[in-house]
Amino acid sequence: MSWKKVCAVAEVPENALEKFEIDGIEIIIANYGSGFRAFPPRCPHMEEPLCDSGVLFDGMLTCTKHLWQWDMATGERTGIAEKELLFYDVKQEGEDIYAHVEQALVYEDDDDDEEEEDDDDFFNAD
Amino acid sequence: MTTKTLNIQVNARNRAYALDGTSNDKILNLGLSNAVDLPYECGSGTCGTCKARLISGEICDQWPEAPGRKFLKLKKGEFLMCQCAAKTDSVIEVESFVHTMEAGACVPAPLKGRISSVKLLTPDVIFLQIALQQTVDFDAGQFMLVQFPEIVGFRGWSMVNYERHAKTLDFVIKKKPGGELSEWLFNNNCDGVEVDLFGPMGNATFYSRLAKNILCIAGGSGIAGIMSILSRASQDGYFSQYNGDVFFGVRTMKDAFFLDELSVLRGECGEKLNITIALSEEAAPDDARTDYPLLTFDQGFVHEVAGRHMEDRYQNLRAYLAGPPPLVNGSIGMLLRARVTTDNIRYDKFS
Repeated sequence: MSWKKVCAVAEVPENALEKFEIDGIEIIIANYGSGFRAFPPRCPHMEEPLCDSGVLFDGMLTCTKHLWQWDMATGERTGIAEKELLFYDVKQEGEDIYAHVEQALVYEDDDDDEEEEDDDDFFNAD
Repeated sequence: MTTKTLNIQVNARNRAYALDGTSNDKILNLGLSNAVDLPYECGSGTCGTCKARLISGEICDQWPEAPGRKFLKLKKGEFLMCQCAAKTDSVIEVESFVHTMEAGACVPAPLKGRISSVKLLTPDVIFLQIALQQTVDFDAGQFMLVQFPEIVGFRGWSMVNYERHAKTLDFVIKKKPGGELSEWLFNNNCDGVEVDLFGPMGNATFYSRLAKNILCIAGGSGIAGIMSILSRASQDGYFSQYNGDVFFGVRTMKDAFFLDELSVLRGECGEKLNITIALSEEAAPDDARTDYPLLTFDQGFVHEVAGRHMEDRYQNLRAYLAGPPPLVNGSIGMLLRARVTTDNIRYDKFS
């Protein structure tokens, strides 16, 4: 597997995070204004789905679960974030965005998640 | 029940801590009561923030059904420190940095009290007061874990009141139809019933040396901790120098409570404190403005109302958020887009 077309540029407006599936691998495309980033769909901290929990503004991605942040231009973590984001190489050709996807990027310790999904009771706590 | 002393070694990213406890001590509580600021958020088994990994020894999970277990990798020995106690000498690993609490922090401890008042504030919000056997100090905005007889597990609620050496703690609880706790509180004569507590906990705290304008966005029972913050600010005369903007979201006027108390606070604190009641499902009736002339009423989701009213007044500001996750997440997005830095956004996602 190599460069794969993910989406059209117009599908990811500035400051948007959009999730796509490439040959069964979910990735997020982020438009941070001066470029695009491609990364796995979950936060490396608590596995929050970044399409829902992520806020992208001023080139900074913030996960609202614990306010971990990453600078999209440099790819580096900032503030209280303790783990790096993993990135797929991404490029724009014409009006399309391509990502270099060999296999799903996984965070350390995330490769054998054996827990079944549970009903989320968080919203209904007394 | 054993009283044998056990050694629990906590290996954090920056250093190790040696704790002496017993098989009755939940590891999170043991660490916090020794002023070791272990990671947590709800402290009651839902958020998963306090996950750790067992390196050696044996632990006992006191609530195997805790919803926060969905964040764990059990095969790798992960567990929730808020629900587990050591059965033997143990070594655990916490992957984050862990520091000791600052001097002067209100170090959490086990407490005992008894229920002294239960009443309805609205059809689905309960006021609960607990009289303590001993006084406790806490910071405005903190919460307490409370365990009732016959009800499994501790629940976390923010204190409404604020005072040093508090003898009573006031809480507001969202009533769930058919909910175990709601049923117990209303179908039993609870006055005088003894309860166990642990706290105070939480980092969404206010103190007067903050020296910033404050913005509070709360929904429903989330107003509890904000009331405590306003109480402390009022006692300290904080709003003679700094601005306060409070947005309290409820669905309709029938769901609103503490409006008399908020009016009193507004009267005490003066014009630098603005309090807006945001109604998400109806326009404010005319008599609301007549009955509460010191309060402002508006229609919409509370963080959207806050965004409209704040406009560009985000300079030198600390924001406190409290309420259901959609409110907190929506508010965080609004604040980040207003360029409020993350160190000035405080919340505890637990209620």
